[in-house]
Amino acid sequence: MKFKKKITSRIKQFREELELPQLELAKLVGVSRQTIYYLERGSYNPSLTISFKISEILKKPIHDIFYQEPVIKDILEGKSLAELREVAEIATINLEKLASLSEIDDEHLTKDFKEDTLIKIALGLGIDFEDLFEKEAEN
Amino acid sequence: MKKKLSKEKNSYEGSISSSYKNKELLKSTILLGIFATAGAFFIWWIMLMIFTDGLEKSSAVPIEVTYLVFIIVYSVFITIIVLIYLYNTAYVKNFSYKISEDHIVIKHGVLTKIVATIPYSRIQNINIVNGVFDRMFKTFTVKIETAGSSAAAASAKSGHVKPEGYIPGLKDPKTIEKKIKEMMTKYSAVPSGLEDKIFKPEELAFDNFISYILSKMREGEKLKTSITELSEKANLSAADLAEKVGVPLQTINYLAEGRYNPSLALAYKIAEVLHCKIEDLFKLV
Repeated sequence: MKFKKKITSRIKQFREELELPQLELAKLVGVSRQTIYYLERGSYNPSLTISFKISEILKKPIHDIFYQEPVIKDILEGKSLAELREVAEIATINLEKLASLSEIDDEHLTKDFKEDTLIKIALGLGIDFEDLFEKEAEN
Repeated sequence: MKKKLSKEKNSYEGSISSSYKNKELLKSTILLGIFATAGAFFIWWIMLMIFTDGLEKSSAVPIEVTYLVFIIVYSVFITIIVLIYLYNTAYVKNFSYKISEDHIVIKHGVLTKIVATIPYSRIQNINIVNGVFDRMFKTFTVKIETAGSSAAAASAKSGHVKPEGYIPGLKDPKTIEKKIKEMMTKYSAVPSGLEDKIFKPEELAFDNFISYILSKMREGEKLKTSITELSEKANLSAADLAEKVGVPLQTINYLAEGRYNPSLALAYKIAEVLHCKIEDLFKLV
């Protein structure tokens, strides 16, 4: 079992460190300003060549600019305690274990959680299971 | 406010020539003239039937009545022509277009004002039309065809094609066409990444596709990849790698040949399977 991951970008932060306006960066990369805007918002999966160019201009490795995070982390952090409690109840686990989902990596996910539990958690969150987790290809 | 002004520096604005209203006037005069004359004769013929009870005594219609019919019909015709002329004068006055960095804005309308914004990514082709009346007044019509617009759908149904981007009465259409094409190549290239749909806003899918094509056309930047070496080192065949990453084998083959620019998400997945960094896997040449 694996976490479905989402790419989050730190372009805005690094850009501001270099005091580079959005439009300037867009021109250097050779894309529209809108593209940079969407990239900063993280709602966009860029092509590799563009990623390389941005990394070159901002002088940071790709995995620092675009870092991967499990989708579920964001969702859990956005929930209130009462909502989390409800989800934990549906999944019949305790709150600490549910909260640990935003900390652990793929290896621990497979070890600590059963597929049934994860399905229930997705159900409790009201999100498709496939949007949160990935089954590993069988060999 | 100042910032906004400097942003607009790269835009190109314009209005349409007043020859347009003359052209429309001539067009409607000819069309309505034929119509009015036919109408007048028709009414006169009906009068004839009423007054003479058939065709026995055609001279029975008083000449004054005949004159009256023609005078009424033609004065209605002249009123309509004057209204059309006034309407088109206002139309020319209200029409303006702007070609800016990422879209074309066309403002038009006399009674109902319309502001149409066309993003470059939706433009399919630009047609310059020079009809019979256009040639008389040395004007051109630029039609900007867009994909999947309500206007396109409506015109396809009715057979009357008036696209979303319709700029009539232009004296120098080449400049506009050049300007639009220049802006398109300069600003509209956006990254590709067709395979990972989940993190993308739905409405961007089409824009993505277009910009993918555009970015392909735009430049010859190439990715050098050591995907083959690294998968050999990890004891994986191309087919194994494809299966683990969850893409078709062809994708891996294309990548290995350097013929395909992957999305960042795909690059991450491959790097994960091969336990390496993206920078080890690909290099921009």
